[in-house]
Amino acid sequence: MKTTLKTALAGLAISTAMSSAAFAEDIKVGVLLPYSGVFAALAQDIDDGFTLGLETFGADSGATFQLVREDTEVKPPVGLAKTKKLVLQDEVDVLMGVVSSGVLGAIRDTVDGAKVPLIVANAGNDEATGKDCSPYITRISFSNQQVNRPMGQWMVDQGVKRVFTIAPDYAAGRQMIDAFTTAFTAAGGEVIGQDWPAFQKTQDYGPFLANARASGADAVFVFFAGGEAISFVKQYDSFGMKAAMPLYGSGFLTSSLYVNAQGPAAEGVITALHYVPTLDNPENAALVAAFKAKTGRIPSEYAVQGYDSARALIEAVKSGATDRQTLAAALPKVSFTGPRGELKIDPATNNVIQPIHVYETVAGADGLTQKVLATLPAEADPANGCTMPAAIN
Amino acid sequence: MFRHTPLRLTTLGLMAAGSLIYAIIAGFFGLEILAEIAILAILVIALDLVAGFGGMVSLCHGALMGVGAYAFTVAANEAGMTALPAMVLAIALSAAIAFAIGAVCARSIGIYFIMATLAFGQMGYSFVFQSSLFGGDDGLSGAPRLDLSALGIDLTDSRTFAFYAIALVALAYLVAALTLRSGLGRSLVGLHHNEKRLRALGLTVWRAKATAFAISGAIAGLAGCLAAQHTQYISPGLMSWTVSGEALVVVILGGLGTLVGPILGAILFVVLKHEISSITPYWHAIVGLILIAVVMSRANGVFGFIEARIAARTRTRKPTLKEADADA
Amino acid sequence: MSTDLGFWVLQMLNALQLSMLLFLLSVGLTVIFGLMHFVNLAHGSLYAFGAYVAASLSGAFGYWGGFVLAPLAVAALGAVLYFTLIRSMRRAGPMAQVLVTFGLIFVAVDATRLIWGDLPMGSAVPKTFEGQLALLGVQYPIYRLFIIGLGLTVLAALTLVLSRTQIGAMIRAGVDNDQMAACLGINVERMFMSVFVLGCALAGLAGAVAAPVLSVTPDMGLQILIPTLIVIVIGGLGSLKGAVVGSLIFGFVQTFGAVLLPTLNSVLIYALLAAVLVIRPEGLLPAKG
Repeated sequence: MKTTLKTALAGLAISTAMSSAAFAEDIKVGVLLPYSGVFAALAQDIDDGFTLGLETFGADSGATFQLVREDTEVKPPVGLAKTKKLVLQDEVDVLMGVVSSGVLGAIRDTVDGAKVPLIVANAGNDEATGKDCSPYITRISFSNQQVNRPMGQWMVDQGVKRVFTIAPDYAAGRQMIDAFTTAFTAAGGEVIGQDWPAFQKTQDYGPFLANARASGADAVFVFFAGGEAISFVKQYDSFGMKAAMPLYGSGFLTSSLYVNAQGPAAEGVITALHYVPTLDNPENAALVAAFKAKTGRIPSEYAVQGYDSARALIEAVKSGATDRQTLAAALPKVSFTGPRGELKIDPATNNVIQPIHVYETVAGADGLTQKVLATLPAEADPANGCTMPAAIN
Repeated sequence: MFRHTPLRLTTLGLMAAGSLIYAIIAGFFGLEILAEIAILAILVIALDLVAGFGGMVSLCHGALMGVGAYAFTVAANEAGMTALPAMVLAIALSAAIAFAIGAVCARSIGIYFIMATLAFGQMGYSFVFQSSLFGGDDGLSGAPRLDLSALGIDLTDSRTFAFYAIALVALAYLVAALTLRSGLGRSLVGLHHNEKRLRALGLTVWRAKATAFAISGAIAGLAGCLAAQHTQYISPGLMSWTVSGEALVVVILGGLGTLVGPILGAILFVVLKHEISSITPYWHAIVGLILIAVVMSRANGVFGFIEARIAARTRTRKPTLKEADADA
Repeated sequence: MSTDLGFWVLQMLNALQLSMLLFLLSVGLTVIFGLMHFVNLAHGSLYAFGAYVAASLSGAFGYWGGFVLAPLAVAALGAVLYFTLIRSMRRAGPMAQVLVTFGLIFVAVDATRLIWGDLPMGSAVPKTFEGQLALLGVQYPIYRLFIIGLGLTVLAALTLVLSRTQIGAMIRAGVDNDQMAACLGINVERMFMSVFVLGCALAGLAGAVAAPVLSVTPDMGLQILIPTLIVIVIGGLGSLKGAVVGSLIFGFVQTFGAVLLPTLNSVLIYALLAAVLVIRPEGLLPAKG
């Protein structure tokens, strides 16, 4: 599965149709992903999506892309050391990747100080495009609040008025739930109870499920990801709570990457996310077919984040950018219609602006699949203390 | 008893010279690695002081390092202190907390001591992880570096910072060696061998253990300050028990109770880790196998192995000298 | 919070369920320690291995296939470990043992990633145990009741074996003084091996039972390790009673802590462990006085 990866310095050159042309640009891309550690599966999907994107769109850019991959191990100090290596020693033109918000927080000042453009392909902490924003950091993935805010109004519209929320007790969990809670109460809903199980230390959600049941809420809204999402969804179902209190949540809960490990327990769970593999548009059909042919898997939201990062980079190159400075100036100006729908970058924060898709997990022909219930319009996050310096060139 | 044998002094000298030369010639990534080695080296000096000489195998040294890093960052960022007083405060706090842990755990021995320190370390980790004051799991950024511009030294430069890091390792080593040669150091080693005898001699056992643990904690706090100044960003991951476990691995790889060996271990561990991780993402497994092999070999780590071999050679040579005397 | 009695019954059952899962895991570890004075940090990895075996076999052999085969597979792995590593490390002292088994954890995590990949695996509850049962006025998942029942059964069986059979007497003699036991003609070496392998099988069983409730991920062994260690240290290393008491304390503190003191929940159990060690440095019910 991962034989193509990993050698730190063995870059992968993707040649393009015009590579023989005398003035073809060579863009050196530093890829910062946690190839080992708990997020290895995410890193794999982002990497596969990114290389597929370069192969798909690179041909008419007139440039070649050389990748230098580094493993962040999901450890902030390691991520920082690898960033310094890529920036100072390998002298990459652009950085791409970063899965965890902790690593993004650690490398932010170095990236900003060295004036190297960074395409964030996952990490969703609100601060990165809020008070810690930088003209050199462009986020193509999502922000924690962006994914959850639209569900507030939508659930009230569906007649859900009283909810109980559960999320792991760490920064991302708090941001996801707080964004939902604010929007939900503004729309006239009421949050009647909240639980915050210890992050990565809770194996049994029974106590919290009993709290939720006793609260008498109409529904439960949660955020969990990865292994915790699997445990939670299964345990929610085992207590027979789905019938009495429908389960809603942030779309990572039933991500296509993990949903088959949840099995029938995930059926009927309604969540919202910026990408669902069953979106019905030609760009997504092309991605799904190509990704399946390349990897044998269905693209997850992580794969599409990598794919769109490649697309954004290529759009920037096509607009004439060739080096750190011009790429940094061009990246926030890209916009295109991809598998997720129409994407553009918010000039106020450099965060992506994208539609959010509400979907229900349902049984399909082979395993679980996603039924899109609604596509909520794209809206920009509030600037949250971000004061973007004037245009950099 | 801790002695500076010729071999130890030679190894120290070689490591000092090697790292100084490397700091002059290394590329940017090499300088990062050098700083990483220095932080780990200080931490394992702290750990070897208590584990190697006092038999107090601690799984909370990562957390003590974290106390130093967090105290330094909070004092500098929130309380507006300059870097030097913030460092002093952070080291003092690490020492105080280590003293308390040492005092409380003084009665526990062996596996119970390991578990008790694990509990205290994880308590600190969980607290910081959830505390919004300390930035939770996202950590804190913006720790300043020591300002030595009055001396014409600019620590924002990676190369200068590497020299500074090496100097702090030397400082940590000096403190540990002096402690071991003091009365306290002798008591510590004595306690490890025969606690009853020292108790009978009138030593207040808990106080000796706690004091040694406090000095070790202060050194770990220094490692934390250096880590915070190096990355200028800290996160709770620093305090996790696996960091303490890794430090213990390094002490064992290098040679427990030799003080010099663990520094060698830190160099080997970091270099090995980077070399293997550039070949395979499954580098943990390889490090694990090496660790198992070293412990199973019964040698006291790499340095202990070298010491034992040289000791064996001098021993076989001595009789021949005597024979020569007899012949004369 | 609720004044409804049913709520508290539900939480009692939750606490009991968690306790029994931890008991299955910790009893093997603690008995191995009591007999051999060996600390196996890789015990959690054996549990993870059991969960993976059960999850991957459940497709072909169903839940019960995994339930039977996972403990056997882990026992076989335990036997291999015993002859390659454990036997020669028995007298090496706690630190060497901690480190060798710490190294084993590194190897085990990467081995599971190589064999089963990075994506979590799922396995389903057996058909007979799907749904809930009305009990003491609450609806409780049948599978969780099964875990409680299984824990109690294993506890009863072990108590019986240890107190009433000749093998039990031999093991108790070994715990008290293994050299004396050897003088009395007990084949201590074979007894050590059997107990170690049995402890591994119980870890595999715990993994197989936990698989349908939790997610099966490469780091699940590392995540369960600390709770397991806390259980056996609070209870007192080496004693069956200690494992029971420790598991119950952990399960109840964790569950009711989450309900009554949510803000302190993650620190609570460590504070309790520290308190126990200060007051009774060898745990509540150590194997030997």
